[in-house]
Amino acid sequence: MKKRGMGRRRFIQLSGAGLVAAGAADLIGCATAKPKPDGATSGIRYFDRFGVTETLLAQVLGEAMSRGADSADVFFQHRVQSSLGLQDGAVNRSTAQVSLGVGVRAVKGDQQGYGFTEDLSLPAILECARTAAAIADGPARPGPQRFHVAGSLPDRYPVKIGWQEVRAEQTMPILSGLEARALASDTRVRKVNISFGDEYGAVLVADSSGRIVEDLQPMTRLYLQCTAEQDGRRETGGYNVAARSGLEYYDAERLGRIVREAVARTTILFDAVPAPAGEMPVVLAAGSSGILLHEAIGHGMEADFNRKNVSIFSDKIGKPVAHPFVNIVDDATLSNARGAINVDDEGNPAGVTHLVENGILSTYLHDSVSARHYGVKPTGNGRRESYQFAPIPRMRATYMLPGPHSKEEIVASVKRGVFCSNFTNGQVNIGAGDFTFYVKNGWLIEDGKLTRPVKDVNVIGNGPKVLEKIDMVANDLVIDEGGWTCGKDGQGVPVSQGIPTVRVSSITVGGQGKA
Amino acid sequence: MANVDPGKQMQDVARSAAEVASRAGAQQAAVQAGRVRTVQVEWRDGRLDRMKEATTRGLQIELFVDGRYSQVGTSDLRPDAVRAFVESAVAMARKLQPDPFRSLPDPKLYQGQATVDLDLVDPTQGALTAAGRRERAQAAEAGARGVKGGGAILSVSTGFSDVLSEVFRVHTDGFEGTRRGTTFTVSAEVSVKDPDGRRPEDWDFAFARHLSTVPPADVVGRVAAERAVARIGSRKGESAAMTLIVDARAASRLVSTLVGPLSGMALQQKQSCLEGRAGQAVGSVLLDVADDPLVPRGLDSRLFDSEGLAARRFPIFEKGVLRNYYVDTYYGRKLKQDPTTRGASNLAWTLGSKGRDGLLADAKEAVFVTGFLGGNSNGTTGDFSLGIQGYRIRGGQVAEPVGEMNVSGNLLTLWKGLAAVGNDPYPYSKLRTPTLVFEGVQVAGV
Repeated sequence: MKKRGMGRRRFIQLSGAGLVAAGAADLIGCATAKPKPDGATSGIRYFDRFGVTETLLAQVLGEAMSRGADSADVFFQHRVQSSLGLQDGAVNRSTAQVSLGVGVRAVKGDQQGYGFTEDLSLPAILECARTAAAIADGPARPGPQRFHVAGSLPDRYPVKIGWQEVRAEQTMPILSGLEARALASDTRVRKVNISFGDEYGAVLVADSSGRIVEDLQPMTRLYLQCTAEQDGRRETGGYNVAARSGLEYYDAERLGRIVREAVARTTILFDAVPAPAGEMPVVLAAGSSGILLHEAIGHGMEADFNRKNVSIFSDKIGKPVAHPFVNIVDDATLSNARGAINVDDEGNPAGVTHLVENGILSTYLHDSVSARHYGVKPTGNGRRESYQFAPIPRMRATYMLPGPHSKEEIVASVKRGVFCSNFTNGQVNIGAGDFTFYVKNGWLIEDGKLTRPVKDVNVIGNGPKVLEKIDMVANDLVIDEGGWTCGKDGQGVPVSQGIPTVRVSSITVGGQGKA
Repeated sequence: MANVDPGKQMQDVARSAAEVASRAGAQQAAVQAGRVRTVQVEWRDGRLDRMKEATTRGLQIELFVDGRYSQVGTSDLRPDAVRAFVESAVAMARKLQPDPFRSLPDPKLYQGQATVDLDLVDPTQGALTAAGRRERAQAAEAGARGVKGGGAILSVSTGFSDVLSEVFRVHTDGFEGTRRGTTFTVSAEVSVKDPDGRRPEDWDFAFARHLSTVPPADVVGRVAAERAVARIGSRKGESAAMTLIVDARAASRLVSTLVGPLSGMALQQKQSCLEGRAGQAVGSVLLDVADDPLVPRGLDSRLFDSEGLAARRFPIFEKGVLRNYYVDTYYGRKLKQDPTTRGASNLAWTLGSKGRDGLLADAKEAVFVTGFLGGNSNGTTGDFSLGIQGYRIRGGQVAEPVGEMNVSGNLLTLWKGLAAVGNDPYPYSKLRTPTLVFEGVQVAGV
């Protein structure tokens, strides 16, 4: 049972080792294709197999506008998620999940009505449209008279071997091979769990302006977790990758890295000393430390919070918030990134949005509702977990651009502090601005050198204060390849993040040792 | 469609999927068909903000095919689509490596379901109107606006939702079971202006099986606003080892870190700091908790668990001693242990005699935690580190608000330091945690 209070959390986490989720390419998710019914299907390339026609879209959108909404949209989704799990030496579990459904939204000002169904018959969808329409209470407005299919979308997730073609015979040996290499690489490794997932499918958005957009959305992820033993102690660690790619993603180099990193991140935990407690300088490694940006500023820049006046950044646009060498973007365009999108879930084009330019707070992340409120163009950040949810402003791939310093000079500048290497999760209170991120692996910095490993320590700070305290930024930007999922209002969406090596001059480290 | 009993429809879908699975070659299958009706109203700053209404349905199937195991689900319930889906799923399962530990549970464990009426369905739900839902959300806002110091309020978002869920489960070995339940939720989230520029927020919600037991909506709004207003002026306190008092609502986060390492999978995969500790003291004598799935109107009450085992109450900790783990059929076979149940239901705590205020007064000097922020725990070793906010307690009185702080330690040490348990189990979490007091916890701040 989902707790309402927890549903309101804004957080990010790595996809866990949870082996309960997804289906195999061996499953014919779309099943029985219907003969094409009457009505124009021109341009509907994917959803015509489910009987979606322009005639149906016009009827549904007309119904959604029947009580005077300003605008309406309809969102069809078909998604086939598959997974394979390896445990105790065998690829002995698989999951498959087919999601097929449609959601209808009506918008009046910033008020929204929403209904959804898994039944794609016209009467069922019209019922959803009537539910949504009731957010308004006035004379009907016309639905779209004519549709125009959006021209070619960008191709940000080119795939060579798509998951609908891949069979378990191709993926099972990858998992077995990874396990064998992990066990062979260090005798302390006792248990290996691997979770592999893939997904394919498509979305279709049609709105009351007559726009129709379809996007095919592949995804894959792999998590290798080890438990190791040394002198009667045990530790668990792992490594996680994800992308909007096909089977070709798992090349030799990546597979080698997965094993190497998972084993190294686990076995180093035996050498860890307690992290210190209290305020001190912290250096964030390039890559997954982008979690800092996600929590310290990303959520607070989502325009719904600002429109509602509840973000700590609500009155800071155009004001300096960081050193002039700090530039932060939210980017939909990174090729094959987990957070990449060709188009957002409202059908709006998605590009690069500048949150901070030369230290000045620049642009919020908008969906169409907040864009209308602020009188600006949508930024392509309207996203949703599935057809069961209305879209809200969300991040895509959030990262900081390179700066003027080097990693070596940053580490050398710290007399005593903590170097954070990798992370599992973070969370933020967007109004108070307090945020945390959990450091799985890190190092003590003593006299400008990385000396002893630390582990399992939470770092807590306040967004605007920490932004001001980012006083060195290196030139070594890395976009993390981990499988991050961002949670907001009970909806999870895939995101990416990245950062160059940076120094935060002071932040609270939640350890147990002496500072 | 209108005249078809939806419960019967779900039974038909589940039984026919089980038949398809058998015909396709699955020796065993467990099928669950579910239908959830949700109506949700959100209200913000004097007007309706969002409304949502939907009935979702789906099918989940566990397949046992030639010694292999697969778990699949679909929301596409068209009969042709289900048949094609199940047939391809059975074919896919055959490609996996065998797993000799997989099968349906021992049917003996289905027997002996309790005869108690769990009373999980509120028959008055059907009488709720759109106006009634809206009025409750509106009342929650009014409650929030009326608090002392309410002039600092920037925004109030409230909500009311009600859910009816129906699940039908069928196994190819003859097990059949139905679960139905309603829930009603009132929620409120309040943001306030701190003179220093921050906009601290807090929330409250109430959640019950029967509408009549949900407290008045204005009370929920008031609590959220009082909590938010009290955050104004919070600052970071000093780093120290000290007494930690965790309020009943926040304590569920702490208890969840103790529940994870109790799972059969964690034990069998050597990822549990509680492995091999059955019969040993892992907490102070005050740690005394049972798992009780049979509480009438309980948030996670059930007559059978997620694999069909008859639900029963059993002890988890008795006077600090670990008595039982959460072990399902699969990991039970791997561990050579009898299964208990797959996961926690409602927890039942042996309560103390004092409420929160009494415990605060007794503690004299302490940090009183009202919320956790992020953080995590390492179930293999028991290490944890969690962000906190709350208040300093000075001389037994609530003093200044503190935030941007952290607590860390090890679960095994923490629970041995459990010094007092309140008499106030939090009713809106299935973990039903009372206020908890721990001695000597490392707090990090300045």
